[in-house]
Parts: sequence; structure tokens; C-alpha cells
Amino acid sequence: MCADLVKTICPFCGVGCGMCLKINEQGQLLSVEPQQNHPISQGKLCEKGWSTPYAINTNERITQPLKRINKKFYPISWQEALTTIACELTSIIDESGSQTVGIISSARASNEDNYAAQKFARAVLKTNNIDHCARICHSPTVAGLKQSLGSGAMTNSAKDIFDTDLILVFGADPTENHSILGGHIMQAHAQGTELIVVDPRVTRLAKLTSMHLQLKLGSNIALINALLHVIIKEQWFDKNFISSRTQGFEQLALHVKDITPESVESITGVSAELIRTTARAYSQAKRAMIFYGMGITQYVSGTNNVISLANLALSCGHIGKVGTGVNPLRGQNNVQGACDMGCLPNVFPGYQGVAELESQEKFSNAWGAKIAQQPGLTSLGMTKAAQSGDFHALLLFGEDPVVTDPDQNHVKSSLKNLDLLVVAELTMTETAKLADIILPAASFAEKDGTFTNCERRVQKVNQALAPRGEAKGDWQWLQALAKQMGSQLLNWQNSEEVFNEMASLTPDYQAMTYQKISDNSGLQWPCTFDAPEGTSILHQQSFPIGRARFICVNHVDIDEPIDDLFPLLLTTNRLHFHYGCGSMTRKSPLLERETPPGLLFINPIDAQALDITHQAPVSIKSRRGYVETRAMLSDDVPVGLVAMPYHFKEAPSNQLTNTAQDPVTKMPELKACAVAVTPLAKGQPPKTIQQLQGEQ
Amino acid sequence: MEIYLLDNLDLLQQHLLIQHQLYQVIEDDNGQCSWQQQTKEGNAPLIAKLPQSSAKDFFFAEHENLLIFNGEYFQETLPKPAPFVLFGALSCDLTAISYQDKFFKDDPYYQARRQHCLLVGLDCVRPCQQGFCPTVDAGPGVREQSADIILHPLENQQWLVITTSDKGSEAVKGLALSVAHWHLLTQRDLVLHQCEQDFPDNTYITQAIDKLNSGEIKDSFWQQLAVQCLGCSGCTTLCPTCSCYSTRSITVESEQKKVIKQQRFWDSCLYEGFQREASFHNPSSDAGKRVQRFWHHKFGNEFFTEFNRHGCVGCGRCEQTCPGVIGIHSVMKRINSDA
Repeated sequence: MCADLVKTICPFCGVGCGMCLKINEQGQLLSVEPQQNHPISQGKLCEKGWSTPYAINTNERITQPLKRINKKFYPISWQEALTTIACELTSIIDESGSQTVGIISSARASNEDNYAAQKFARAVLKTNNIDHCARICHSPTVAGLKQSLGSGAMTNSAKDIFDTDLILVFGADPTENHSILGGHIMQAHAQGTELIVVDPRVTRLAKLTSMHLQLKLGSNIALINALLHVIIKEQWFDKNFISSRTQGFEQLALHVKDITPESVESITGVSAELIRTTARAYSQAKRAMIFYGMGITQYVSGTNNVISLANLALSCGHIGKVGTGVNPLRGQNNVQGACDMGCLPNVFPGYQGVAELESQEKFSNAWGAKIAQQPGLTSLGMTKAAQSGDFHALLLFGEDPVVTDPDQNHVKSSLKNLDLLVVAELTMTETAKLADIILPAASFAEKDGTFTNCERRVQKVNQALAPRGEAKGDWQWLQALAKQMGSQLLNWQNSEEVFNEMASLTPDYQAMTYQKISDNSGLQWPCTFDAPEGTSILHQQSFPIGRARFICVNHVDIDEPIDDLFPLLLTTNRLHFHYGCGSMTRKSPLLERETPPGLLFINPIDAQALDITHQAPVSIKSRRGYVETRAMLSDDVPVGLVAMPYHFKEAPSNQLTNTAQDPVTKMPELKACAVAVTPLAKGQPPKTIQQLQGEQ
Repeated sequence: MEIYLLDNLDLLQQHLLIQHQLYQVIEDDNGQCSWQQQTKEGNAPLIAKLPQSSAKDFFFAEHENLLIFNGEYFQETLPKPAPFVLFGALSCDLTAISYQDKFFKDDPYYQARRQHCLLVGLDCVRPCQQGFCPTVDAGPGVREQSADIILHPLENQQWLVITTSDKGSEAVKGLALSVAHWHLLTQRDLVLHQCEQDFPDNTYITQAIDKLNSGEIKDSFWQQLAVQCLGCSGCTTLCPTCSCYSTRSITVESEQKKVIKQQRFWDSCLYEGFQREASFHNPSSDAGKRVQRFWHHKFGNEFFTEFNRHGCVGCGRCEQTCPGVIGIHSVMKRINSDA
């Protein structure tokens, strides 16, 4: 029976739903229930949220530090683990310098953990080699919106969904990836809000609206430029807003002058008529909101795609007001927070530039330590440098890049090339298998801290359980490691002290305290001495850069088009049952039962041409790799396009994906590559990648 | 049946606490209502508010081991709870317990807990936000067969205490209670009648139930509705009458021995995998079929015949928790307008 009910925040996506953990007399997690009056989730949870206890209670939890000797792991004491790591790190730094070590922190960990990680990197290891998975989700958002608007975060709030006239969902599948927010969109649409979906696949939301622009992969900019062409030609733009709040409109008008809807029909696959209808609907709506996701960012044109969306919103003045804005749907529970905390190689907490002398002095003084000066490496930069032997030690927690990063074989061989790989995790992952030392991590239910959701709401996470076995929270083991290396810089007594130090150095968080966050069911940044109650809508009076900028961008073809050898385009998608690498959701027998371990969505017409039946075993090959999985025949993908979720370590789509990168942010083009699909012999079950590569 | 007057509810709580663990619905600062254990030291005031989670997990545990094989022999896992009382359960949830009593009649795990429980019901004298218990004959007044003791709030802070079973009569023995005049029962009926009148017009639900049973609703309607079903299991988890479960073996291996546990856990008929067979054959692979089945289980005539009532008790939890906006009220309205 339930003895205690602990309020906390769901550990899955960036929506940040309110969850209660039911704890029994023995201090075990029994089950969860939604917080009835949570400002966002209002008594709802998604399938992932409901299945939380399976992820936490699993018998597969790592409960003590492990050391790998050859291919086997042996339990060791924390002291031995810390001594080993500290010695290795020190000797590598002494020998090869601080630029050869680094940290990949986690968008699933708390703000406190992330703050500690970047401080550890910068002040203890003396390197800016600190990054996390935002690199492969929303780094183009941070870079693109920063240029256009001056701030790279969701401009509006989830509640605005019920206070708008039109919702434009661009390259996002919110009912699957941000289910509760997707549900809000369904609800608003049912109540009369217009809904336009732009997506190469027929998503759940696309099925609910007559306005679906089923564009070809990677043609976002062409489409948006054509929308802008129509809006400008028909004089549907917001003259007052443009003249008072923006700059560069004339150049943009000139830039899109010849990009007619007809001229982009063949690139986008969207009819000129539908482009005109969309342009009219969006520009003429009194209030219109844009939501977007990986269908915008995971391209070589990622940053420019984001800029393009900003151009669209700015031209119609759909920003800075209720029910408007450019709203990136952040993937992980705390990816916004991990970025805010400065777990990026180029910025300190609060996006204060690492290259700026003033910021360097500020942090160096505050921390009372010399800090790294040299610019740092991104996560992909670190794996690349490891490959070439220029990078030797990596500490990593709460991420599984072997499954989630592009070009799996490259990632694996790079990590194997390291002299020291330390992974802190809840359960064994594909990445952890390569580690020299594995540290047992505490789950979200076992720690205090804060998560920042996609609408910039900082929410309190409350400890409900004792850490499993010898597990530690991330900032706690970083603290212990710092001490072992002779540094007292991470000597906080509790999470609140970490938060307070962070808030004192991060302008947007400056007026936040744990108490205030709890009292207000979260606070949205900027929460400053001027705006102590937080800010639900950004850019109401002005932009951080003064006037917002229209920036002219051009269509860029995807890096790897189809050809005779690889005649189908592969895109990646997510299933609402699973989250990231599946290390948590796949512990639920219910969610695990829903799909086979890996699948490929293929149009029935393509399937028939290849003699592939529903659930049949197939192989998929790209220039980089080969996997086997099962085919799911579905009209949700158009002819010529196949789609694969990336959750499954048995059939990882990242064996196949392209590493071509966005030049600005190094975001890989995960959304498009060329593949060949072939049926396997009937009755022959698909081999896992581990079997194919002769492991185990 | 005996009826008593009680000035101070605390006396009854304290009396029951002598021989029972006592659980009661508590509301926290944010309005979250949940069943919480109460102690002799301090009883929270009794509130007629629907807890987010119903009482079903007191009897039908969300996860439980049905047996354990410890490497040598099988161990019994039947629960042996201390006697406990659910103090102030509302009529909808009590009706649901009666419903599940039938479903789990021969389930020893359920019954082991159920038999140790004393049910003290609390009449609702005001409609709740999503509720429609009168429409499905589940409230607002506590049904006699569904509780051992019924509490009814009177004016002047007094309580009417009605014992409706031997277990109930036994439980109040030794407590100084004054016998109440029968006319107070009439007064209770009037108050409950008035409460029923105060519910919003829910005839669309009755009409939709008729339509659902008429066989007129096309498959395409259910398919359209099912686009909005995310398969989250929220409705079935919170529904007080839902009882689907699955089992799995969990093996815990150590150097010394291998322990195998057979675990039962709550399942949901809205999952695609719920009815899928190993061959991939699935009689309900279509989401529309699953959504249709769910609502037939709640309102279909065939189930009414079996259980002598609807499978829905009118609590409205599914409406609040469904991310896809296809809870009871939304669906019933759409059956009327679109089906």
C-alpha cells in the first residue's frame, strides 16, 4: 500500500509533466500517478510516464562501480574507481594536455548535475570539451534563433496552445514525442483551432487535419521561402511589426521575389495551391504558433531551416504575443536545462560566451580558479579526435551515443580508441559496454534537483527513494572525483547549494530559489530581479539583439540523394512508446511488447515491388552500414521513403545514417540518407547488429 | 441496517483505528487527492473528493508476485494484510469495488486483501466536476450493498452512521452511538435526490449508450476516434473497474541460486500487443477495434447482463487523464454527433 506520495517531474520528454511517485512502507516505488493540477499536464501522463516504475525498479540496475578487464566487468569499490579515474586523468592531462580529455553530460540529468559537469570540465580538468546530446537535436535551434531573435529557446508557453487561432507543426511529431503537448494540440484543434502539419510522413496530427503539406525530405527552406514569397507579394505581412521591431526585410523581399510556389513544386513535392492556402492561413490568422522539431534541425541545412522559420514568424508579426511564436519542441526532459547550464563547448551557464574575456573573468573569479581558455570540442569533435588519437579520456553520463549518434561504427571505434572511458548509468547500455569504469548512477527518483522543460519552466524534482545500491547522483560523484584530484571546487552540501551558486552566475535564473520554484509549480526563465515571477512569453517589447533580423537563406539539397545502388531515402523517426536509446522504456514489459526490437516503415507499393510482406525480415544497407529488422507496411510513409526509429540497439538506424554536418553547429544529417532494402529469406529472423558483427 | 447519530466523527475514526489500519482521502496544497494512511495521533477532516487513483490497488495490486520458485521449492505469495478500513470511499468507487468483487470472485490474491477490508462509504451531497454517477446508477448516495458502513453529513456538523452489513455492525460495537430516528433516512433521500438534480444534463450519455448498443456505429467512426488514442494506458490505469492484467517471469540469478518470480502486472486492452499472438496474428490489431472494445466493455448490453450493471461508474477520471481527448464525455458526445 502507498505510504507516501512524492511530487516530482516526469523524467522523459521536454514537456515536463507533473508526476507523483507512490512509495510503500518499505520505501519502494509502487507506481505513479499524474499531478492533478499541474500547469502543463493537468492530470495526464503519456505511456512513457506511466511506465516509469519499470525503468527505476528493474533488476538490471547497476548498483556498484564496475571495472572492465578485457570483456568482463568486475565490481570494485567507489574508492578504487575514483582513484583509478583520478590517476588516469591526471597522467593523461600531464602528458597530453587538458584538451585531450572531456565530458559528455546528460540532458536527462538535473540542472545541478549539468552545472557541476561543466564546472568540473572547465575548472578542474581545465578544458571546454563539454557537450551533450543537444548537439544532435536542437543545436541548430540555439544557433539559428540566437542569430534571428537573440535567444535560442521556445518563445511561448504550452498553455498558449489553447489561446491561439492557428497551429503550424513543422517537422515535428508531437503526439509521439511530446505526447501530452501533442494531446493539447489535438484538443485545441477539436475546439476549432486551425491545424497545419508540414511533414514528409503522415503523422497522427496530419491525419486529423485537411491541411497536410507532405514535403520531400530536406526541402524546408524552399517551402518557407515560397510561403514568404506569397505573403510578401500579397501584402499579407505585418508592416507595423516589421518596421518597428525588425531589420533586413527589404533584402528578404528581394531574396524571395522569384521563389514562386510553382518554382518549388518539384523540389518540395507540395502543390503551389497548397502553398498559397497555407501562406494565407498562417499570415491572416490573428494569432498563429509554430512548433517544430527534428524535421527542421537534423539536416545539413539545420541552422538555416531554423532561421527560415524565424523569418516566417517575423514577417507576420507572430511573435512576442500570446498564442504566437517560434517554438522548438525540446526532446529530453532537461535538454533546455543542459544547454542553459553551459554544457556546450562555446558557452558558460546562461549562454555567456567562452571566448569573451569578460565572461572568462566572471567565472574564474566566482569559482576562484583558473579556467580553460581554449575553445572546446563538440561531442562529435571528441569522438573524431579520439579516432585520430588526439583525444584520450572521456567521462560520460546518462547518454548512449553508440545507439543515438550517427554512424555507429565510427562512434564505437572512436570510443574503443580512448585510453579512459568512464560511463555513469542506470543500466548497462551499448556505450557502457565499452567503458573502462562504469559508475552506478542514481535515477531521477533518487535525487533532488531541477529540470528545465521546453517552455523554459524550471521545475523541482524531489527525491522519493534512497539511491539503489551504491548509486550516486551525478554531481555527487563528480564532487568525489574532484576531491580525489585535489580540488575543493565542487564542495556543495546539497543540491540547493549547487542551484544557488548556478543561479548567482546565470542571469536568466537569478531570481529563482527552490522554495519559489516549488511554490509556483515552476518558474519560466528569464526570472530576474526585474521579472521575479518569470516570463511566459519572450520578446514582448524587444529582442535581446534589439531588432530581430531577417536573414536570407537558400535551399540546400540533402547530402546524399538516392542513386541506383541505394534507391530509397531513409529518414528516422520516434515511436511514442520509447524514449531515446530505450534504456528506460524498454524495461517495461508493456512498452517492449508493442513493437519488435527494431522496425522499418515502408510504403506497401515499395514493399510489393521488393516482395516484402508485413512483419517480414528485411535488410537495410547504406554506404556506412548494414542492419536487419522487420518491415512494417504503412501508408504513413510515401513511396520512395522508408523510416526507422532509432530506439533499438538490435537494429540501430545509426548504422546507416549520414555524418554530413550542418556547417554552423556540426549537427549531423540524421533525417536523410540513401539506402537499399532487400527481403531476407522467409522465416529467417532478422539478426541483431551484435550477431552481425560477431559479438557475444 | 441500523442508523445512528454521531456528533464527532473523530470518535468513529479512533474507534476503528483500534483494530484497523485506516486509510482516508487527503487533499494536499495543490489539490492532489490520494488515499493516505491515518494514525491515532491526528485525523484529517473527512472530504468528499475523488482521489486521483481509485481504491482498486488496495485489492488488485499494480504489480505482485503470484509465486516464487526459490531454486528448490515454490513459495506462497498470498498477501496477509492487517485488517484495514477505507474510510470515506465515495459511491462511484465503492460500486467499482463491488464490480471487481465479481470479476475477482475466485482470485485468491484479490480476496485475501478484500476480506480484510472494511468499507466505510461517504455520501456525496454535491456533484463533482466530471462525474455523472446518477446516469449509471452508481451514486451520489452510497449503495447499501457496496459498503459496510455509510456516512451521511447532516447539518450542524452531525453525521448519520448507517451500518449495512454484519461486518459494519461488528465494527461499531463498543462505540457510544445514539440511535437515530428513521426520518433522518428520509431526509438523506431528499438531500441525495437534490444532489442528483444538481448534476448537469447528461442525457447525451444515455443516448450514446443506446446508439452504441444499436449496432449502428460504423467501424470508420471508431477508426477516426482511435487516431487520438495514444495507447497510454491512463484510462485503464485510473478506471476503477478496469482489471486487465498480464504476467511475466522474472529470473534473478546469483552465484548461489536462481530465483524465478511469476509477476502479475496491470495491463491495458488499448495496447496493440495486448491480444497479439506469438505468430503476429492479432484479432484486435486495428486501433479502432480496441477503442470500440473498451467502450463496449463499459456500456455494452452483453456486459450489463453479465455484471448486472454498466462497467462504468461515472467517476469521469478517463476524461481528465486522456491526453487524446477521448475520455467518457468527449466520446459520448461524438457518438451522438458524428457516429
